[in-house]
Amino acid sequence: MATATDVPSANLQALIRAAAGGDHAAFAQIYQRTHVHLFGVAVRMLGQGQAAEDVLQEAYVSIWKNAGSYRSEVGGQPIQPMTWLIAIVRNKALDALRARARRPESAWNDTTELAGSDGDGRDAMGAASALAPAPSAMHLLEQATQALRIEGCMNALDGSYRQSLALAYYQGLSHSEVAAQMGAPLGSVKAWIRRGLERLKSCLAAQGVGA
Amino acid sequence: MRYTHPALLDHLASAYVLGTLGGGARRRFERLLRDRSDVQLLVAQWEGRLGMLARSVPVQQPPQRVWAAIEARTRPRDVKDAALQGGWAGVLWRRHGVLQGLAGVVLGVVATVALVAAVPTLFVSSDQVALRAGDKLPQAYVGLLTDGAGNGKVLVSSLRHGRTLTVKVIGPITLPAMPATMAGAAPQLVLWAVPADGAPFVLGTVPVAGSAVSVLPDTSEKLLLKVSKLMVTLEASVAPQVPGGTVLFTGNCAKLW
Repeated sequence: MATATDVPSANLQALIRAAAGGDHAAFAQIYQRTHVHLFGVAVRMLGQGQAAEDVLQEAYVSIWKNAGSYRSEVGGQPIQPMTWLIAIVRNKALDALRARARRPESAWNDTTELAGSDGDGRDAMGAASALAPAPSAMHLLEQATQALRIEGCMNALDGSYRQSLALAYYQGLSHSEVAAQMGAPLGSVKAWIRRGLERLKSCLAAQGVGA
Repeated sequence: MRYTHPALLDHLASAYVLGTLGGGARRRFERLLRDRSDVQLLVAQWEGRLGMLARSVPVQQPPQRVWAAIEARTRPRDVKDAALQGGWAGVLWRRHGVLQGLAGVVLGVVATVALVAAVPTLFVSSDQVALRAGDKLPQAYVGLLTDGAGNGKVLVSSLRHGRTLTVKVIGPITLPAMPATMAGAAPQLVLWAVPADGAPFVLGTVPVAGSAVSVLPDTSEKLLLKVSKLMVTLEASVAPQVPGGTVLFTGNCAKLW
């Protein structure tokens, strides 16, 4: 499967530097090499449709404007260009999700991805989740941890911990949205996600990937 | 809230990057992130860790209109026009404005002398006069690649003695599905030169929209002298040794002189 980390880093770094200097052709190449990956991330969080396209557009405009702020390392920690790009598109997608959550109830019905929801906001979230079902987020986490060879380490955690982390990461759900989707108390979900993140950190460190 | 405890900062950084840090806490953390390098490091580390989870997210092809919108918002105004009109003389004049007074006058004189000195070399031949008057195109290798139905898709050009190649997409390109043999790779559109009597070689990649500039290993004259055809194939990498994928577009490579 083509994934978000397949793009060679060295060339991307050079292209980002060139774009920072105003080289629009270099920027076009960054788009060419990364847009299918970044759009994948946006679609995973927002679903197919205008919202994901808008996020992709905002992300690349931001990449063009902020190419000069890309640093190949922070405090001795190397920053892969793809990591930087993914963080930008995730932040834009999270902004869009928060803006969507703030919209009045009636507006939910206007969103094609959420068509069919006619109850309150929570039902609408349920409808969104139904289109991007939980097992899928969990499946993506399993695939990623397998690829990183930390599957065994992560699986020492209870499934609900991993599932809450997967929902928050791949679908951009908030604590309360994860709690609603899993039918679990908010306090538990917060603790599960926190533990999940700590576990991810220690598993990656044990495997020698990431700090 | 106090932001001195390392474990608390690390937790906030992880929640910030994950996206679960919301509302006021997120805004406070963003202020902290602007000012403190230790917090920037923590966030960078978490972006690295969580970014690795994105590797399992399947790629998706956005519609062409997304790039068109991005290009409209990012492409600088035609800087070439400004450079032609202003050029280095313009730079000198701007500096003239800054320096003022006597130094400015001296620079102005230098600019004038330099311009006069430059004029003869600008108009050495009738060809160049025609070129500058816009009646003639510069010597270049050009190619127009079309799809199977004859629709123009890609315009390729390179100055005869230049070392860069410009590829411009002139028709909408829809990427076909990757063949099963290449499943798992990010699709790349690769531009090939096909010499009349040799093996095809890679000239660069083709964007799905907009234009791209590739740096050539030698001048066009050396590389393209015996090239009669160009083609674009769908490949799993940007620099395959031999064309392995589907041929999407083909065209002639012509000398524009």
